[in-house]
Amino acid sequence: MDDADGRTAPRERKEDRRREKIFDDVIRIISNALEISPTEIKSDIDFNSEFTFDSLQLYEFVIDLEEAYNVRISDEDLDNVRNIDDIVDLICNLTNKD
Amino acid sequence: MHSDEEIMSEALVRIFENVVLTEEKSLQAGYFSNLSIAEMHTLTAIGPYEARTMTTTAEDLGITTGTLTVAIDRLVRKGYVIRKRDTRDKRVVRISLTRSGKLACRMNSKFHRVLAKHILGGYGAEDREHLLCLVNEVDKYIEQQLRRYDDTENVRKTAMDVAYDSRKETIDNG
Repeated sequence: MDDADGRTAPRERKEDRRREKIFDDVIRIISNALEISPTEIKSDIDFNSEFTFDSLQLYEFVIDLEEAYNVRISDEDLDNVRNIDDIVDLICNLTNKD
Repeated sequence: MHSDEEIMSEALVRIFENVVLTEEKSLQAGYFSNLSIAEMHTLTAIGPYEARTMTTTAEDLGITTGTLTVAIDRLVRKGYVIRKRDTRDKRVVRISLTRSGKLACRMNSKFHRVLAKHILGGYGAEDREHLLCLVNEVDKYIEQQLRRYDDTENVRKTAMDVAYDSRKETIDNG
């Protein structure tokens, strides 16, 4: 939340930085998995239609994320993931639970 | 015309056999064609996360640790399992999955999930709930029967008990 001078509270700035780091990691992992440039990956890209992930690549991506963040991503979680923002939100939520 | 019992019993056996057969064929056609069904089930019992002991894994699979050791040797050679001695207690051996093992395990659980999703997909919410309830009852009953045979020394006695119960049910039902 912004204060009276329009500045963002320190706690929120920290959260934003954490989210940005997770976003960068997700882009890096996808770019490695699909062997494409990170600049070609946009945050609102539809996960199901625009990516050429097959099932195996999808689970390789998931395992990389699980190992990087020490979390467990279930298939039920993956059902709700539509784009990169969703996966970033999911990792944020899973790491917040710890 | 078949009796309800005949239809049920034939369907149960057919479902079991066809699930295993479909799983086997999907394995042979997929990325993990060098794994047998039994090996895939061993990977699933180990699971994609924490390392497990040989004893608890063998218990879950309903096999002896000797049989599991042979299976694990093969899976280590194929690159799906890592075997390590516990750092604190050297007598304990811990097994975990390699990256390939984790991938195989997750792909296999996806196979089962897709199968279940398609079966349930044909039903509305109420029928779904009813179906799950019935399947759960069948599952519980068969599990209960399995437990009666857990102690192998009691197999003969258990077989006699089961025969007695079945006769009694037949008489009670007229």
